[in-house]
Amino acid sequence: MNQYRVYRFLMRTLHYAVLIALAIVVGFPIYWMLVVSITPAAEVYRWPLQLWPANPTLEHYRAVFTRQDLMVDRWFINSVVVSTIITVLCVFLSSLTAYGFARLEFPGRNTIFLLLLFTLMVPGQVTLIPVFLLVRSLGWLDTYHALIWPGAVSVFGVFLLRQFFTSVPKELEEAALMDGAGRFRIYWQIVLPLSRAAIVALTIFVFLGAWNDLFWPLVVLNSLELRTLPVGLTVLQGTYIQERALVMAGTVIASAPVLLFYAIFQRRIIQGVMLTGMGGR
Amino acid sequence: MATELSTTQGHTAHQHRRTWRTPMYTLTNYLFILPFLILFVTFVAGPIFYSFWISLHDWKILAREQPFIGLANYINLMRDGIWWIALRNSLYFAFLTSIINTIFALVVAMLVNAPIRGRDFFRFVFYAPVVLSVAAMGIIMSWMMNTQFGIINYFLVWLGLPPVRWLADPNLVIPSLSLATVWWGFGFPMVIYLAGLQGIPDHLYEAARIDGANTWQTIRHITIPLMMPSIFFVFVTQLIAHFQVFGQPYIMTGGGGPGRSSYTVIIYLYQTAWRYFLMGYGAAIAVALALVILFFTLIQFRIFGRRSVIEY
Repeated sequence: MNQYRVYRFLMRTLHYAVLIALAIVVGFPIYWMLVVSITPAAEVYRWPLQLWPANPTLEHYRAVFTRQDLMVDRWFINSVVVSTIITVLCVFLSSLTAYGFARLEFPGRNTIFLLLLFTLMVPGQVTLIPVFLLVRSLGWLDTYHALIWPGAVSVFGVFLLRQFFTSVPKELEEAALMDGAGRFRIYWQIVLPLSRAAIVALTIFVFLGAWNDLFWPLVVLNSLELRTLPVGLTVLQGTYIQERALVMAGTVIASAPVLLFYAIFQRRIIQGVMLTGMGGR
Repeated sequence: MATELSTTQGHTAHQHRRTWRTPMYTLTNYLFILPFLILFVTFVAGPIFYSFWISLHDWKILAREQPFIGLANYINLMRDGIWWIALRNSLYFAFLTSIINTIFALVVAMLVNAPIRGRDFFRFVFYAPVVLSVAAMGIIMSWMMNTQFGIINYFLVWLGLPPVRWLADPNLVIPSLSLATVWWGFGFPMVIYLAGLQGIPDHLYEAARIDGANTWQTIRHITIPLMMPSIFFVFVTQLIAHFQVFGQPYIMTGGGGPGRSSYTVIIYLYQTAWRYFLMGYGAAIAVALALVILFFTLIQFRIFGRRSVIEY
């Protein structure tokens, strides 16, 4: 018995040791990003590396905001605006459509839904070139229309929410119908609030996906002042690669909002992944 | 009821009793899906077919005419050495990353699913890198993996080991990108696994304990068999996601270097369409890529049925 307890104790210690070591390894790059961004330029390339800079400085943050070809503040605002519009549109349209497919009857409903399911199997890269050509002929290149309208369509969102809406008890809706509520009101005041968990999860992941997207904004945006943060970061990485601390300061500015957002909503985000199978990329 | 609700007298009828099967209401029902449907046809369904159409042309964006050339783009693609290099690299990266992620995330999920203190904290830390953009992640990791000044080599030298040329060595560059990607992304499959682990009923573990099974036996005979669906699911979805890798080589290896040793299919698509403006050839690359992914998806369907389609 005693031996067993010693064994248990050792296993437990080992368990914690592994987890703590892993947490350090996983957390370290984020810590290192912060450290490099406040290390004086001259010391970034000097061994021994300092795990905490002897002379921490904010000069790189100042530089990021003052260099002519770096508009990090602009990019930041662009990212906020574009991601927010995409998210609101996408969640509204997905839920409205999902409600239509879940509860309303109209000719061709099943055929249309099957078509949606079919496109879910086709990877997004197939549409890049045709959508680019379309956006170009509409004169939307280098405007936010190019990001917003294609970004507002999420077949997966419709598919996901439809499943949640079908599980809302029909009796509730029928009662509301009796009381004279219209279909839109039922959707807005009964079905949406009852599916809050799914709506919140979709909102979070659509937002993260839009915020972090690199390929599409890279392709359709050209002007420096219109870029979103991820595309802006590629400018940093390309032009300022010799000034690593400056690049890192830009990276911190781009990452801090999502990390903060994650810190606040982590429970919801992790539950959302379990609920929806989405991950935010 | 049917007589009461004909469309001609619809106005008075619907004041009294609303039924959604009548012709008039079916039309208004379309309003729920119409806005989405317009965008869907314009930006998803239409382009899927249009993509194939473009791939049958010698489509150059600035040219005046786009001559029809049949399957020539596809025939050229099959003879194109760069395509095969890109495909090989993408597959290599996808399999390596997915295998590591599938196993590693499961181990970590089991570690954080145990009843221990601070388990929420560990989950918090392990999922955190997932929320970073690929641009941020690539910048951080490429600096850490820098041969001369990177902190990983600094630690290796400090431990008395030789420095490694992570992203500079053609043979190591894909495993290095893979390693960076595992750091960035394993939190996601970990959470998928956690959902699965929480679905395993406690009484199975209790029964095993009463029968005197040790930890390893419990994992081997209860956890792993019951987690098999999740494991397959994670593996296939990871494979599909990582096969489409773009950001990591774009940011970390200057678009596929050294040489072409981390040149991937999407990088090739990007350069063909947006550096050389060969839209026809680019569309052919995209369609070929889709066929490979469709093949993975079909495997997924065979194993799980159609309900398991999930976008990553």
